[in-house]
Amino acid sequence: MKKVLLVTAITALCSHSVQAEVNISGFASVMGGKLTSGTGVPEFGLGPTFLANYPTVGVYEDEWTFKPDSKFGLQMTADLTEGLTATVQLVGRGADDFEAGFEWAYLSYELNEHWTIQAGKKRLPLYYYSDFFDVSYAYLWVRPAADNYTWQIFNYTGVNAQFNYQLGEWSMSGNMYTGREDDGENKLLSEFFGSQPVREIWKDIVGGVLSFNREWLDVRLTYMTYLNERYRNGVQVTWDGKDTRRGKFAGLSANIDYNNWLLLSEVNRLTLDGGDFDTYLLSAGYRIKQWTPYISLADFDSEGEKHSTISAGVRWDFHSSAAFKFQFDDVSDDGINGGQVAGDSNAVTLGIDLVF
Amino acid sequence: MNWFKAITLTTAITASSAMAEVAVIVHPSNAATVDQAEITRLFTGRGTAFSNGSKATPLNLAESAAARGEFDSKVLSKSSSQMKAYWSKLVFTGKGTPPKELSSDAEMKAAVAADATAIGYIDATAVDGTVKVLAKF
Repeated sequence: MKKVLLVTAITALCSHSVQAEVNISGFASVMGGKLTSGTGVPEFGLGPTFLANYPTVGVYEDEWTFKPDSKFGLQMTADLTEGLTATVQLVGRGADDFEAGFEWAYLSYELNEHWTIQAGKKRLPLYYYSDFFDVSYAYLWVRPAADNYTWQIFNYTGVNAQFNYQLGEWSMSGNMYTGREDDGENKLLSEFFGSQPVREIWKDIVGGVLSFNREWLDVRLTYMTYLNERYRNGVQVTWDGKDTRRGKFAGLSANIDYNNWLLLSEVNRLTLDGGDFDTYLLSAGYRIKQWTPYISLADFDSEGEKHSTISAGVRWDFHSSAAFKFQFDDVSDDGINGGQVAGDSNAVTLGIDLVF
Repeated sequence: MNWFKAITLTTAITASSAMAEVAVIVHPSNAATVDQAEITRLFTGRGTAFSNGSKATPLNLAESAAARGEFDSKVLSKSSSQMKAYWSKLVFTGKGTPPKELSSDAEMKAAVAADATAIGYIDATAVDGTVKVLAKF
């Protein structure tokens, strides 16, 4: 009976897919850069390094490189009609030698005009820019400040319910999600913060995002809790004798886009093992026709790990689907007691972001 | 003499682009009323219904159409590249789908005249009896 059902279901899906309208869209960034100076961390034997992207270990060194921030993405959405869609997003990043993988793969079902249910693999919507981190065309800078976007896990597989309501002059939207991520060999923990393979598991993930938008103001609240489990070289890591530890993440973001002024901000706290990991980002830009010069300050502060970045740059919308960006970053690594990450560094990055 | 021609031409171009009006149009049977804030909501994916509760299907003009830039800047108060950045964020995070695009005023009129839920816009000079004008900008 089950087989028959399955076959019927597959046949139904197949006959549907013949008629399904498939939309293809994509994005790409080609960014090159290099260090202009850097201290590295002599006690770790690390040479001058600008860690531009923590989770994918995107690093700039003394020589020009195009790898850390270059990427391409291809999204295909099949409209199965009656509110049902299937979406996959293939992303290849220079930091991974452009080996493309499915970054997103989910089914989406529109329940009514307010609610949509999704199931599958998505990006964790922790920080403001987390879920569209790869789509650089959609934001001002070359990349959201590395000091904020430091966490090793950025995807999850599970269920997501999102909503959209109008409250007078305010648009309210948000989502609630639950799921897990099991990263067999986590890049950041295995390659950068260590030399042994680390399997990183975030399970019992439960989180939510609530956004309020009105004309030029955008306010976003985010919360997420998870259980961390870790294996180093196949051996389970314990914390105070326990196999798991709970992390709690909360953040607030406020963005203003008024009369060509852009003011972007977010402040976040992750509590893990009784320690607080605080991050904030402040950025300002001014739009002059196609040009938007900007500055930003980002900071990470915990007991041992402390670093900040001051950035200045310009975005030039020279084409209706592409932007040129040039950015200078000045990183200060004030880590203590072995909490240094990559040392102080200055770097330049420039290139093009596009969408299609 | 040449500089005089240039100035006359520039003035003419400036005047004509400043005068190009965009008409927001719906199906003749549509009884809804809209203001600029509501049009913005519908064209930014923040709402899917008219204020009287009936379903709304926003239709956009392609970037190559003159009225598109006028609509983006006058009604949505954004440049076309700002709108593209806005939609990229929603499209690649599964939070929204931009309105379907039509390539000309004529196609837009035909699409709106054929769909009771549609809301679109065209150059005001292209309006005829097949569609109903809700607002002009």
